[in-house]
Order: sequence, then structure tokens, then C-alpha cells
Amino acid sequence: MNTIDATEHYETSAHDRPPSLLTIIVDTNPHAWALLNPTLPLSTAIANILVFLNAHLACNYANEVAVVASHTHKATWLYPVESTTTRNSSSKDIDGDITMRPQAPSPPAPSTSINKYRPFRIVEEQVSSNLHALMTSTTPESLSTTTSTMMAGALTLALSHINRRTIAWNEAHGGDITNPNDPPNSSSNNTRGTPESTLQSRILILSVSSSTGSAHQYIPIMNSIFACQRLHIPIDVCKLSGDAVFLQQASDATKGIYMALEEPRGLLQYLMMGFLPDQRSRRHLVLPTRVDVDFRAACFCHRRVVDVGFVCSICLSIFCEPLGDGVCLTCGSRLDMGDYGAKPAVVARKKKKKKVKANGPSATGTPTPTPTPGP
Amino acid sequence: MAAAPSSRPFEYLESLPGTVFFKLYQQPSTALAIFRRMLPDLAKCFVMALLYLKQPLPAADLEVWVQSESLKERDNALSILGRLHILSNTVTADNVRAYMVTDPFATSLRNALTGADQTQSFGVLSHVPSGSEVSIAGLDEYARRQWEGVLGYMVGTGGLGTQREVTLSKGVKELLQAGHLVEIRDRRVEITQDGFAFVLQDVSTQVWHILILYVESATAIGMDSVEVLSFVFLLSSLELGKSYEKNHLTSKQLRMLTDLADFGIVYQESPDAPRFYPTRLATTLTSDSSALSNPILGALSGPTGDPSSKAGTGFIIIETNYRVYAYTSSPLQISLIALFTTLKYRFPNLITGKITRQSVRRAVEMGITADQIISYLSTHAHPQMRKHNVSRSTSNQAGIPPSVLPPTVVDQIRLWQLERDRLKATSGFLFKDFVSLAEYEAPCRYAEEIGVLAWKSDQKRMFFVTRHEQVAAFLRSRK
Amino acid sequence: MPRAVRGVLIECDPSVKAIILKYDQERHDYIVEDLDDDRHLVIKESQLANLKARLTKELDDKVMQPDESESE
Repeated sequence: MNTIDATEHYETSAHDRPPSLLTIIVDTNPHAWALLNPTLPLSTAIANILVFLNAHLACNYANEVAVVASHTHKATWLYPVESTTTRNSSSKDIDGDITMRPQAPSPPAPSTSINKYRPFRIVEEQVSSNLHALMTSTTPESLSTTTSTMMAGALTLALSHINRRTIAWNEAHGGDITNPNDPPNSSSNNTRGTPESTLQSRILILSVSSSTGSAHQYIPIMNSIFACQRLHIPIDVCKLSGDAVFLQQASDATKGIYMALEEPRGLLQYLMMGFLPDQRSRRHLVLPTRVDVDFRAACFCHRRVVDVGFVCSICLSIFCEPLGDGVCLTCGSRLDMGDYGAKPAVVARKKKKKKVKANGPSATGTPTPTPTPGP
Repeated sequence: MAAAPSSRPFEYLESLPGTVFFKLYQQPSTALAIFRRMLPDLAKCFVMALLYLKQPLPAADLEVWVQSESLKERDNALSILGRLHILSNTVTADNVRAYMVTDPFATSLRNALTGADQTQSFGVLSHVPSGSEVSIAGLDEYARRQWEGVLGYMVGTGGLGTQREVTLSKGVKELLQAGHLVEIRDRRVEITQDGFAFVLQDVSTQVWHILILYVESATAIGMDSVEVLSFVFLLSSLELGKSYEKNHLTSKQLRMLTDLADFGIVYQESPDAPRFYPTRLATTLTSDSSALSNPILGALSGPTGDPSSKAGTGFIIIETNYRVYAYTSSPLQISLIALFTTLKYRFPNLITGKITRQSVRRAVEMGITADQIISYLSTHAHPQMRKHNVSRSTSNQAGIPPSVLPPTVVDQIRLWQLERDRLKATSGFLFKDFVSLAEYEAPCRYAEEIGVLAWKSDQKRMFFVTRHEQVAAFLRSRK
Repeated sequence: MPRAVRGVLIECDPSVKAIILKYDQERHDYIVEDLDDDRHLVIKESQLANLKARLTKELDDKVMQPDESESE
């Protein structure tokens, strides 16, 4: 009967949306968290982050998450980790939060934690047990030597994970024969290609440390930022305390979101409202961006953050003070410094026009331009 | 573009009364499944943003949050949220219009996220003595066999195939009849137009279709729709390869379990076994429409009976000259392909044919749409075609969505269908007799924004909408 | 005072619209509102099935179908 009616022929079937991969880098620098403890203890923050991770997983069946800890001496994975050895370690939680307590897969488990959507549980168990392991392995001696955080390493880990997942996704997407035992998120992807139908990845950095400590990682951080920029991976930054110069540039260069929380206690709401929307939803939303980005760089010679510096004209390395012998420390180019440092010959300005006029008609109309130092 | 909610389950849910929603949303698993499966992206953002707010969010704030170009998506999202009783309009303390997430839904979704759920709505894992677990491959095989049996019964290949006969229960057959997917004429099973459309859909859509039919028929015989639906959503949140306890299920849910086992959606060793396993058909329910390249479908489409040898996905090759080569010996797949192609030769593992104007017209007359044909073909396209496509799409940066199929074939199938499409009917309401242009313009613009406008004429001051409730309310509010 | 009328919006090409108008002239039982451009009109919901059946038959009879004899 409906052969003549076009209406039913254009029902669009449910449109396939490619899943997104959210990688969270948590700055676990104990120094910074100690300062933040009165307003937002780490345990509360982690609990909030876990709810946020669950919210991201809830948005799409195939969504993925990854969590990296950027600690004082190393950057390490909190989720996903392959080995299950950490599970057998003491199941006491750092904060005593019962829902996050790692559950060995033993049968008679308390019903409060068993009754939870499985993917949520797996993420929570791994994150909390790995974080616990990380904290117990941190000794006071190791803390006393440094106060910064391994942000560059964490970014690199995140990028390599994203790259691996993207390749795996594209393989499945390209119709290659998939192993039936693969996790469903890698195999249940759409096959009808649209230009944006690749895995959508983004990085969220939860930053607490200040920039002064991370200046020595300036080059690796910037390299990671440029890699993200090239791969169209937005870096979102959620700043709980301190002020990280380079991370502002990171979110600015990669079109991510930068938010410095005025009220860290509202972390969850900030996360849910500002950082949950993925790239596709962001097109429809007005996003918090930072207008006054701090573009300062760190010099290559002393890792100082500089406002004005010297730039090698060959490799664009930045130096905070003129090079002694005129050879660039990075590329070795011999740079002609000219007579840098010589005092420019400053010609005294002529007296103010008004006075000139008052004094006599002999003065010329145009004052001499400000003298420039000779070549 | 905000994706349309997957139509059939959505339409069914929308038709339910508000009290049913209230009961449904008591279950965290239901809240989670509906959130994930039924909402467009933007609606998900709204819900999550509002979920942990203590105060309702003023409507103006929400409106500022959305880009001005995306008004349509925003209103579409808000309308869907309203229709599913997830978002409600309220006023804040100082009498400003505001939105909030309705309560049983908000509480349940929060419980789902934090795991503070006391209602067992995510199932209770069962402890299986080691050695007797059912492997994932075994579950896939079971699901594939049952599901193919159902499809085979509909298409009428059950008897002539070489594959193991699957005995379908009476309940399954009755359900297919009740859903008008098949008819019994002279004691023979004949597939209906709806049935044709059904068999060409992807597996996930089919499963939803069957489940909704099941819910409808269950309510017809006096089962509580809330109980049935909650159980469906519970199934969707279970984990593949794990077994679950039965002893906390109600007697009706146990009955459902037996019925769904016939479809291959769940597996139990025997109806009296103390535990059950969800199969991939159940656990991928809340994924987007594609369980596409998953092993069940791969096995469904590939050579039957031996899913392990070729767990690949596709088996159909289409050339730009409309010739079709399908590497299959499955009677089911052959009869499906025969629906819209003129078959030419048949070899032990290969059939060849050609898509012609007549074969497509014949399919369209049977009620199959061009889009269904195309999506069937691209779903089952041979890996070789996908590879070819991937290499081509990387060089093509123009933003044209690369298709797995040759574009000329896709276009031509559509054109052949268009030949038959002489009119497009949209039922709804015509608004007319506006006194002034100003009076006409405002509701017209409003209708366009909420996405119900189908036609308008500024000259005649008339417009046609698909749903009138909101527009009528808008007109009243302006008086 | 604006009014809302229930009906089915038909979008079609001018030739089909002409046919529908012709049907309506017989007993005036199809059209709710003729929308005056040559592609749209609103008809009664109850008549939709009837109209489709009649149109299908008429078009199949009248429209020439190119013969397809490209056998291989």
C-alpha cells in the first residue's frame, strides 16, 4: 500500500556515533594536594573524578576512559592496567570509601558494591587500587627531593595510548577480521564511514602543581602539545590550584577548555558541565575559554619562565640571556650577535613643541624621530 | 546534527503514561539504559550538567549555554527530554522559569553512577563452580543459532537448509504473528511486508523490535509493563560471559527469561537451572545501532555452522556494474539477497547476481526501502571492499562521506525507489486563520525551532505541524 | 482567531496533485485545504489509504514503464 508514499522510505536509522576516548591525567603531586587538603582532599577529588568517568562511560556504550597519574617522580597508569597483581594487595582504601574498595572476584561480595554496572566497577577498582599502590610506594625521602610533577611523561603516556586505541579502532573499522574475544568497544563500531567517524579522543588534565616546578619540562610538554594539535586532540585543563603557564597554552593551542576553579569543592559540577561534552556536542555549546592566555615560554638554558628573551634565528630556541660565544646551545649555529650590549647612542629629545613655539618661530614643524641605535 | 533517537523503542516509550515512567525510573539500570540509548548527544550533556545541581537551572542560563546556531538541536533535545519525562519545567525561588531533572530519574541515575544502588537492578552475579562456565564463544554460538533460527523461520528456509534445525517454541511463533511479521496462510508461514523490512535491519534494531513486541504482548495478557521493561533494561546492563543468579527474580521475570532464551537473548542450561547468562544480543542493547561487526552478526552472515573458521564480517562484493558476488551458502542469506537482486549462478560457496531496476522495484513493492537494501549491503560488505574504501577515503579530503559501496550503485538504488515515490504524506495539523502577519509569525517560528514545522506559507498565513500540543500551548501562553 | 485542523500534508509533484484534485472534484471528499502552490495540499486522514491505493493503480496503468530487457 505504501509503495507510492515516500514518507516511510526516508526514516533515518539511528545514526551511529563514533565513541570517544577520554584520557584523564590526574596530578597526584602530594605537595600540592597537602596544600589543597582543607578545601578538597584527594580522596574526595578522586571520588568526584570516578563519578565523572562513569558519566562519560554512560554516554555511549563504546566510550572508553583511561587514567594516568602524574606523580612526583614518574607518570603511571591508573587505568587500564594489564596485570592484576595489584588486586591481591591489601584492599584497604586510602580514603576508606567503601564503594571504591577493590573487589577480588570472589563470590560472596557485599551487595552494595556488587550491584553496580560492571564497567563502572572495573574502572573504580583499578583506579583506586593502583592509586593506593602508587601512594604507598611513595616514600618521604623521594618527596623531599622534588616538588614538581611529571606532566610531560603523563602527556606522552596519554598520547601513546590514544594512538594505540585509534589504530585498533581503525583496524576494526576498516573491516579487518576481529578477534571475537576482543572487548566489545573495539569491535562494535560502525562501518559506514563518515569523515568524522574515527575514535574521538581528548585529554583532561587535572592540575594542582604550580608552573615553576614544571619549567624544566618545557620542551617535552610543548612537543606533546604540538602533537595533540596535529592530531586534533583537545587538551582540557581543570586547574584546582596554582597556575600552570604551559597548560594554558596547551588548551589554547589545541582548542581545549581551560578552567581555573574558584571553588574546588564544586569539582564534580565543573566536570559535569564543562568537561563532559565531547567534541561533537561542543560544537553546539558555548564553552568557557580563557581570553588572556599566558604565552610565556621557558628558556632552554636555565628553564626560567621569561617574558622577553633571545631567540635563535635558526632553530627558534629561546634563551634568557645572550649567549656568551654566540653559538646556539640547541642547534650549534654560530649567531652573529652584532654589537649587542653596546649602549645605543641616545640623542636627547628636543624640547617640547609648545616651548619651542613660545620661544620663537625658528623651530621646524616636525620633531626629529626618536633616535635608533646604529647597526 | 543531533541524531534521531532510535525510533521504535523511543516511540513505544513515549506512548506510555507518566505514571509508568515514574515506576520505571525507580530502577537505576533503567535510568542508565534510557539515558544512554534514547537521548541525543546534547540532551545527554543537559542531563549530566543538571544532575548534580541542587537548584533548578534557570531556562535563560541553559539557553545561553547553547550556541545560537544550534537552537534547533537544543529544542529537539529539550523536547525529547520532556517527552521521556526526564526534564521538567519549574520555577526557581525568585519565580524564574527553570529546568530540573525529574526525581526518580535523577536519583536513579546518580545511584547508577555512584553505585549506591540497593535494588539489585544490575543483576546479581552467580558463583559458578569452575569448569562448568559457559564460554563467550559458546554463548555467541547459541545466540547466533537461535536468532538465525527465528529469521530462517520467517523467511521460510528452515526446512530446506542444511543447518541444524532450531526448534522454535510456540511462544516465538505467536509473537512473530502478533507483530504482523509473518502470517499463517493454509498452515504455511508467509512473511509480511513488515517482516521483509525486519529481516533486512541490523541485529540490534531487530532485537529491540522483538523486545518491544514482547512487551506489548506481555501487557496484553496482563503482565505489568513496568516489570517487563525493567527486566529488559536490566538485561542490557549485564556483562557478557558472566552468569547471574535467578533466585531474586519474580515469577514473571523467570517466565520472561524462558521466553527470551528461545530468541537467543539469554542462555540457561535448562529452565530450572539456578542461573542464566546474557548473550551478546542482550549486552549490546544499549549500544548505538551497530552491533555491526560483532561476532554474532559476522557469524550470521558468514558461512553457517562454522563461525570460528571465519569470524570476519562481510561476504558481499558489489561492483560498479551492479553485479553482486556473495560468498555464502546460508539459505537465509541467499533468500535475503534474492529479495532485491536477480540471482544468476549458484556455486557451493558463492552466489552471483545483479541488482537491476526490476529487482529493486520488486523489493520496493514488497515494502523494502532503498535505505534498507543499502544498509544491508554495506553491513555485509566484504572486508576487501572496506579496505578499498579506507584507502580511498584517506585520499579524499573533500568531506564527502566515503561509502563502502560504489556510489553509483547506491545512488541508482535510491533513484529506482524514487521512481515509485510520487507523494510524501505527513499527518499533523494545519494552523490557519491568523488575523495578522505578526500573529502568524511568532508561532510559526516557534514551531520551526522545536522542529515540528512541516510546511508554511507566509502569504497565506498558514503552517503545518506534525505535533500541535506545544504550538497550541505557545499560542495560549501569548494571549 | 487561529484554528488548527487535523489532516495529512501531501507533498507531491504537480502532475500527481492534478490527479488528486480531479478525484476530489467527484465528491469533494478528499481535500481539507488546497495550499495553492502546485506541490502541497492537506487531505483528510481517513482518506489517505484510499487515495494511495487509487493513485498506485492509476499510475501503474497510465505511466509508461521503460521495458527492461537487458539480459546477460
